[in-house]
Amino acid sequence: MRFLIVDDSSTMRRIIINTLNKLGHQDVAEAGNGREGLDRLSAGPVDLIITDWNMPEMSGIDFIRTVRSMPEVKDTPVLMVTTNAAKDDIVEALKAGVNSYVVKPFTPDTMREKIEAVLAR
Amino acid sequence: MPSAAAIESLFVDELTAATRDVFKTMVFQEVEALSPIAGDTKRPGANVVGTVAFAGRTSGLVVFHSSMDAAQIITASMLGIDPVNVNGELPDAIGELTNMIAGSFRTRVAHAKGEMWAISVPWVTVGFDFYTRYVSDVQRVLCPFRMKNKAELFVELIVTRSATQ
Repeated sequence: MRFLIVDDSSTMRRIIINTLNKLGHQDVAEAGNGREGLDRLSAGPVDLIITDWNMPEMSGIDFIRTVRSMPEVKDTPVLMVTTNAAKDDIVEALKAGVNSYVVKPFTPDTMREKIEAVLAR
Repeated sequence: MPSAAAIESLFVDELTAATRDVFKTMVFQEVEALSPIAGDTKRPGANVVGTVAFAGRTSGLVVFHSSMDAAQIITASMLGIDPVNVNGELPDAIGELTNMIAGSFRTRVAHAKGEMWAISVPWVTVGFDFYTRYVSDVQRVLCPFRMKNKAELFVELIVTRSATQ
């Protein structure tokens, strides 16, 4: 399985990669914002996108909206990881096409359960 | 110019809870909360300072202070590496830590008071023997924490005068 992590924090990318590695997933591409994320997707599809919301150049929400408009990747599952935890934020994310949502801070178990749940769909 | 007015205790309680939660879940280490210090009588001798601004009905800053050694331990724990291997990762890790503390604090206040705030991206200052002075009328409270190795950390809340009671 191939994963794409989109987050402007290299620390958060590493934390998520560590979780994926513990789940046995080694094939992970990284991007620092939505624009870079689209570039990575142009190189080939992935099985799961894990993205932050607040990022420079292109936000996670704009990135997901763009992904959902691209025929070749529009059905890719998306997990959003963010500190935006208000009800309105979650509704906006779901409307944009997010499949599941993790609020920071999170435990490794929470992240693992969310990843497994999205992949099981 | 700090004011003598006190910051709402709910803000201090929620900031303390947010900090403890972030350390427990993302740094994998419990921190002991010590008694908050109002005003700017105590100036932490920090080498690493992470800052996130928030704005809404209440506006201000959440500021994380630590020594370089403590910041290296925190960074290593977040990344799952040995502290001696921490190199250029420290500013990003402390920025993300501060971002999570401020984000969690914002969520807690939203639930408790219904206030919605926007927050900034984090910025991190690394240096020696510096102090941040604010020209506008602000209130400050310094929340000290102690790590397992006895190192002290501080999370400071700075709010504009209109937010105090």
